[in-house]
Amino acid sequence: MSILRNNSAILDLVYSVKNYYSWSYLAYFDLKLKYRKTYLGPWWVVVGMAISAGVLCLLWSTIFNLDWKNFLLYLFSGFIIWTWIISIVNDGPEIFSGSALLIKTYPTPPIFYVFRKSYLNLLLFLHHLPLIFILLIIMQPEINPRVILTLPLSIFLIFINSVLYSATIGIISARYRDVEPTIKALMAPMLLLTPVLWKPEMLGEYINYIYINPFTYFIGIVRNDLIGDKFDIYVWYGAIIITILQLLLFLIVYSAKRNRIVFWV
Amino acid sequence: MNSYIKLNNVSLDFPLYEGLDLSFRNKITNFGKLGIMKTRSNLERKIVRGLDSINLDIKKGDKIAIIGPNGSGKTTLLKLLAGIYTPTDGKIDVFGKVSSMIDLGFGFVDDATGYENIILSKVIRGESIKDKKSIMQTAHDFTGLDEYLDLPMRTYSSGMKSRLALASALFSIPDILLIDEFFSTGDLEFSKKSRNKITEIMDNSSIMLFASHDLELIKKLCTKAIYMKNGKISYYGEIEKAREIYEKDFS
Repeated sequence: MSILRNNSAILDLVYSVKNYYSWSYLAYFDLKLKYRKTYLGPWWVVVGMAISAGVLCLLWSTIFNLDWKNFLLYLFSGFIIWTWIISIVNDGPEIFSGSALLIKTYPTPPIFYVFRKSYLNLLLFLHHLPLIFILLIIMQPEINPRVILTLPLSIFLIFINSVLYSATIGIISARYRDVEPTIKALMAPMLLLTPVLWKPEMLGEYINYIYINPFTYFIGIVRNDLIGDKFDIYVWYGAIIITILQLLLFLIVYSAKRNRIVFWV
Repeated sequence: MNSYIKLNNVSLDFPLYEGLDLSFRNKITNFGKLGIMKTRSNLERKIVRGLDSINLDIKKGDKIAIIGPNGSGKTTLLKLLAGIYTPTDGKIDVFGKVSSMIDLGFGFVDDATGYENIILSKVIRGESIKDKKSIMQTAHDFTGLDEYLDLPMRTYSSGMKSRLALASALFSIPDILLIDEFFSTGDLEFSKKSRNKITEIMDNSSIMLFASHDLELIKKLCTKAIYMKNGKISYYGEIEKAREIYEKDFS
């Protein structure tokens, strides 16, 4: 193995991209191990998701008196994307401390473990995706063929953001242990503030406030085209701007502190 | 390939973070006090010098033993050469494919089988696992664990675990081999087997550094010795001379 004695975020990224087989194998193995002793295996995730989203749908269509057929798809897809996003956000702070033993034993670049975890979360999301497809077949909404392009692109964009965010926050929270509980506390009410359980139109004149929330963009880029909602170019602009900002932040923090991680975890 | 290791005035500090130093609140209060007042964090922050002004020039063919008391920096030096630590000061230049046997078995998963753990540790090391069959065959032959290799590792005794750990590190022949002491593990028969295999790898690697307390073994395997004390290289040269100084220091 070539050893990278550097502080370069770019070289570490190149190493990880070159060794994509290794982290994807490890993530796949993590998943396999998780469900080894169960009968349904990874499909338990799907069952769990179907139950919670189904209950939510029933509840919301009763409370808000919404046309449940119309709302079902919106809520289901939003909830599934949200589940992916929240696991990224909550796993991020533990990413390096969780791999402490490995970081202290092998010279593998720390970001390798970020790819491993991000890919695991992506795999879990991909398990849920068929649920949306099943609903689409049942409901048959009008869908723009653009989705063939926007779906993989939006998933890729979230994966990239997941890597950049986890690496940055992983370093910060390895050094400052208050960061992790802070993030968990902040994320708890976030579901209510994101257009997942409700539609932006319900806000009336306050509709533009949804754009303060960064999660609106990432939910939007995946969901809008997927369920045949109206195309919103601003969610794409927003997601791309956030990605650029995350990249800059990652380059600064990772380049400065990459070599300190081993002492902090 | 002409592998080499050059260390020029290399030092390594370990920051010790305790309690409040890891808290963000403390950082904010510190900032609020504009650094004028001494905060608790300033008082608690400790730095331990792990390696102190190390100069080394190791060439192809050098088989070097590292001796010294516990806490003298033997493992730290190996981890620095392995690329796990980067120096606080000084310049480090290592040329050649490095393989390390330090903290063997770290990263093993209890619920995974013996075979799976072997594959996992190779993946984490960034080695190819394309030829899974031959990897598994080597593991089978070397560990002698037979059908146990198909069982989860949580069913293993500690001796069996160390066989597996050793096997996971033993496949490729590197240019530069870094070994931390571990020969005491396993039962006698296995020790002989592992010694033979390790000797083979040691003979074929062009540079070796071997941290050990076992002087007999060192004489057999190494050509030179480094005597470390308090993070410094106290002596670098003949094995017999290094041993003399070491014994004199602690007599």
